[in-house]
Amino acid sequence: MTDIDTIMKGIDGLKPIPQVTQKVMAIAGNEMSSAADLADIIRYDPALTANLLKMCNSAFFGLSRKIESIDQAVAYLGMDQVVDMVIMNLGSENLKRPQKGYDLREGELWKHSVLSALMARDIAEKKSLRNKHLIFTASLLKDIGKAVLSKHIENYVDEIETAVRDRNITFQDAESLIIGIDHAELGAIIAEKWKFSGRMVDIIRNHHLRSGWKEDDLELAAIYVADTLCMIMGIGVGSDGLAYRFHPKVMEKLQFSDTDLQLIMADFAEKMHEVNDLLQTR
Amino acid sequence: MSIAYKQKGEYVNIIVGVSDMKVSNDADAVLIAYSLGSCIGITVYDPVAKVGGMLHFMLPESKLDEGKAQKNPFMFADTGIPGLLEAVCNLGAKKERLKVVVAGGAQVLDQKAFLNIGKRNQMAVKEMLSKHEITIDYEEMGGNVNRTIKLSIRNGETWLKTLGQEFRKI
Repeated sequence: MTDIDTIMKGIDGLKPIPQVTQKVMAIAGNEMSSAADLADIIRYDPALTANLLKMCNSAFFGLSRKIESIDQAVAYLGMDQVVDMVIMNLGSENLKRPQKGYDLREGELWKHSVLSALMARDIAEKKSLRNKHLIFTASLLKDIGKAVLSKHIENYVDEIETAVRDRNITFQDAESLIIGIDHAELGAIIAEKWKFSGRMVDIIRNHHLRSGWKEDDLELAAIYVADTLCMIMGIGVGSDGLAYRFHPKVMEKLQFSDTDLQLIMADFAEKMHEVNDLLQTR
Repeated sequence: MSIAYKQKGEYVNIIVGVSDMKVSNDADAVLIAYSLGSCIGITVYDPVAKVGGMLHFMLPESKLDEGKAQKNPFMFADTGIPGLLEAVCNLGAKKERLKVVVAGGAQVLDQKAFLNIGKRNQMAVKEMLSKHEITIDYEEMGGNVNRTIKLSIRNGETWLKTLGQEFRKI
């Protein structure tokens, strides 16, 4: 078994969350904030501004005119979209690297994270859920634990896969069994260290619904469904494959039919080219 | 069909993404579909014409959304498979000579009937191929693993990889 302290030390190797992101997230959570407040924070960070403009001008948004300033970005795309783009910036460096232990090539975990975040936000909109930014952010960062655990599971993948097969347990359970900690738990510890809200920490810890699911928690449900659909589509899925449990009750509570879910997959498959363009900007 | 720039004699990977199809008669081309979850990758190869193709479809039936199927037939088994066969035959392949390999169609643990796309994709691929009187030479479908498949146009060699393991020639 790998020493847990050694794994924990790996957290320090992650790129920390920039301060400006925390400020933007605070604005997103405050109903009294205005678009001007948001633009004011972003414009003083030249690197972030440059990245945001590239993202806004990607094929993903398909705008007919070129966005040249943060004020224009907020005016054309609205506050919600701009906040999500800032949040996307915070995950990219840590998630983009190849994750050898999970057999994920460079950019694959990042693609999974962004696509599942976009899908979770889409589900949140369809079901009129509140806290869309929380849903987007938690969805984007839910697998951050993999970025640290990857190098530790490298030598144990065969053992983990055997445990999954022989004991009919999930990959996450096998990680706990063989390594002593799983990627969701480690993700929660990282989120705590980065001073995210308790709610965010809980969602990251339980994004595979291992420790049960409260039937009124539709925000967690949206994140879980988006993650499951990305797995089915094989987006950024590695050696853990589809070895997670399916919870039909979640679909029932969100009132999703089988056809609804297939249509979400079809919509995103159609948009894949535009999503790839957005991913290239980071 | 696929344009790729290369040095002479160098292999060129042509990626077949989700809901996509590629065919080639370029001996240096290698068609590859990464990370098939519940999606299915089908490779067909005519050893005489040295023509091959790969389809990476996502869903079983185009009746889900006929507009989408018209725009991109390769999203679905029932429109993608005829499209693949037509494209390789247009490059000189003969249906009766095709070597066919099928992989993917995995499912999440405990997934019963609801949203079991993997299982339904498996059924759809078998039904469509038998409708076209084509037999499968090798198949590896189901389970809860993720697979990558590649086909060399030079000799029809097909390689399969379960993520977490190495590529195996089949």
